[in-house]
Amino acid sequence: MAEALIMMKDIRKVYYPDIVAINSATFSLFEGEIHAIAGENGAGKTTLMKILFGLEKADKGEVLFRGEKVFFHSPSDAMRKGIGMVHQHFMLLENMTVADNVVLGMEPKRKGLYDYKRACEITKDLGERFDMAIDPEIKISQLAVGLKQKVEIIKVLAREARIIILDEPTAVLTPQETKELFHQLKLLKKDNFTIIIITHKLREIKEICDRVTIMKSGNIEGTYDVDKISVEEISKKMVGYDFVVTEDKETLKPGEVILEVKNLSYERDGKKRLDDISFKIREKQILGVVGVEGNGQLELSGVLNGVIRNYEGDISLDGLSLKNKSILEIRDRGISYIPEDRMVDGANLIGNIYESAIVLKSRDKDYRKGKFLKKKKLSEFTDVLIDSYGVKCNNKYDQVKSLSGGNIQKIVSAREIVEARRILIANQPTRGIDIGAVMTLHEKLKELQSNNLGILLISSDLKEIYDLTESVIVLYEGKIVARIKNIKDVSEEQLGRYMLGIEVQEDMEASL
Amino acid sequence: MKIRERLMSYFKNRSFSFQRFFFESLKTLMAVLIAYLIAIIIIVFVSDNPSESIYWFIVGPFSNLMEFGELIKKAVPLMFAGIAACVIVKANQFNLFTEGAFYVGGLVAALIAIYIKLPAFLAVIAALVGGGLVATIFGYIPAKLKSSLNVNEFVSSIMLNFVALWIGVFLISNVVIDDASGDTATGIIPEISKLKVFITGTNITYGLLIVIGIIILVKIFFSKTLPGYEIKMTGDNQHFAKFSGINVERRVVMAQVLGIFIAGVGGAAEILSNYHRFNWKTLPGFGFDGFMVTIIAKNKPLFVPLAALFIGYLRAGADLMAFNSDVAQEVVAIIQGVIILLIASERFFSSSFFKRLLDNYKERRNHKRMDVMKNE
Repeated sequence: MAEALIMMKDIRKVYYPDIVAINSATFSLFEGEIHAIAGENGAGKTTLMKILFGLEKADKGEVLFRGEKVFFHSPSDAMRKGIGMVHQHFMLLENMTVADNVVLGMEPKRKGLYDYKRACEITKDLGERFDMAIDPEIKISQLAVGLKQKVEIIKVLAREARIIILDEPTAVLTPQETKELFHQLKLLKKDNFTIIIITHKLREIKEICDRVTIMKSGNIEGTYDVDKISVEEISKKMVGYDFVVTEDKETLKPGEVILEVKNLSYERDGKKRLDDISFKIREKQILGVVGVEGNGQLELSGVLNGVIRNYEGDISLDGLSLKNKSILEIRDRGISYIPEDRMVDGANLIGNIYESAIVLKSRDKDYRKGKFLKKKKLSEFTDVLIDSYGVKCNNKYDQVKSLSGGNIQKIVSAREIVEARRILIANQPTRGIDIGAVMTLHEKLKELQSNNLGILLISSDLKEIYDLTESVIVLYEGKIVARIKNIKDVSEEQLGRYMLGIEVQEDMEASL
Repeated sequence: MKIRERLMSYFKNRSFSFQRFFFESLKTLMAVLIAYLIAIIIIVFVSDNPSESIYWFIVGPFSNLMEFGELIKKAVPLMFAGIAACVIVKANQFNLFTEGAFYVGGLVAALIAIYIKLPAFLAVIAALVGGGLVATIFGYIPAKLKSSLNVNEFVSSIMLNFVALWIGVFLISNVVIDDASGDTATGIIPEISKLKVFITGTNITYGLLIVIGIIILVKIFFSKTLPGYEIKMTGDNQHFAKFSGINVERRVVMAQVLGIFIAGVGGAAEILSNYHRFNWKTLPGFGFDGFMVTIIAKNKPLFVPLAALFIGYLRAGADLMAFNSDVAQEVVAIIQGVIILLIASERFFSSSFFKRLLDNYKERRNHKRMDVMKNE
């Protein structure tokens, strides 16, 4: 066996004061491979990579780089050795151009001043070399998620990284974007770059990785050659139990119409974000909304939950209009909402779990006496939420910030699902969370469905759509381009064509 | 024994970590110590008789009961301003009208005391509450402008301070001026309306009890009531609050109004405790100090009195040093700045730095133990 490029030995990391993130991990990386790190949320994948990248310091253990002991005190140390990292949450300056971001901190100079032209050239060259054509002069805030990720990768390449760590790169991408990303990764591999991908999507591991290291609750379960291990085995090692990849969904007969959206249009900055949208959600129905990110999903959920109020058209719940109602009034009528951005809209990161969990219940008359909160009852409620959704934490007074993304999502979803009475709007409810948690959440959604609720599921995970929904609408540039009565009749490729606007369904049925 | 167990389980449930508490306290303590070290160095440089200056600065406030009372007296308005700022900052707002509120509260309290004749107890209450309410009417303006029109409350409230100040100065120099005072000041505040001294031999008045009561109420408000909880959520993460159906605009206004009211009462209490006439012709500065106090207190209501006492101690020592030695008061202002800077820069001493110290210590201790065992 060739000498490992990087060897991490007996790494241990305990977060202050006593949360064990990594118990003991030994990890090796060979030059020129694509190496997957798989594991559930909170297994320690990201922490391990942060240690490698110098963002965190290990409490124990050592890192060998080409057999030589190294200490990374900060990311700049790691970068000097050619290690770069693309974070799950992008770290870009939204108000600056692509070129500005790419050269940030290493700006090319001419006569002592920032040479913007040169920066554009650098960006363009790198982009062309790896098939990532991107206009260097566009502002980051105008880019879609997939493109932002490309900027991050170019940024890392501009710093002459030879080892690139990608933290859940496909969590935010559409199937097409994912394909593109994999193509670029393969190009990079051909140029003898070494790539580490943190992921829990088994299909992707199979598709492009050479080796996979599986982590489970702070320990390394093992490192395997991808072609010598099956998907089932990986998932078993990750979760610790077998799980069935596909499951028959029981068909429930939809009941009466709960929510009706009629000729909904919404315009912002002179552009139609939503264009003449009409649909109905019935009892016991999960309506799927698919589309490439940024084609009106955010606006649609904004209109439905009351954040956006200056729209045209009408929305009615149980026959009563929701027009010009505030967020609180809409919630009181029985609509619950799982926001897409759980870090900002879903939870209070600087507060504790308890505070984020009780935000809806605290208004409930049973949980307060006049203006005073019934703390005991609310505490019990929080404990039940934590238990039934398997949130990984010490107790309910942990800071939300100290939890992993998946666990935060569990808290947010749990809170909203418990509170839903008529309609649940779920915007990317399972993005970035592990298989075990996805299963729990899907169970809970199905439970809601059989309890006569209607669910609007906005998701970019097509597997989730196929697993849960029957009828689906496809959004493209704010318009409905396809209404699908039974998703089973439509192939993933066909769906992709609708999503990309290549094709519009011909005889769109008037209503669902 | 039982109490101890219950306490332990309480702390355990709150994930209260003694280790963390220890490090947090150590951090603050280190900042104070370093700041005092710098202070002593400065004094040594500027003073001809440094040992005496340092004595007055550090030990002076504790030298007798009267001086200690002076310390408390200085801390009371800081407590008022600190708890007022604390409420406002909890909602992540920076309404600096606490400053103007002190002025307005003081003026209105003096006017009510002078011109409205009421029986003893009522006279005091009317003056305090009246001062608070009139201040609140002013303070509502920037709060409402912020929530309705998104006008930056920081700027509008600073400007409003001057509006309030000059209205007040106009009143005391033209309308309610008492020529007998030989000053631009109101008439004499009747004894009946004043806050009495409650520890004889000092200047500590009932104002201290009032502010402690308010601090306890604020603590209960934030930890036990729905509006308090919602204000905290709004301040921590406005997006989260909005999406959860909390009426963010209302909570933002509420926090500012409450804070301004407390500051107004603080101004009233200050005038009714320590002045014979209302004669402020500049802003008193307490409102701004309040934000400093709450920063030192890490915006926790129960730490506000401690922070205020600390600043009070600093100032009492400074006054004594300026009076008894050759160090100018300005030097003290510099020292005070350094101390605040060190405490406020939270990351200056990161917790992990101390943690590593402790870990190293533990490791060495374990090694030593092992060595001992080997030798045995």
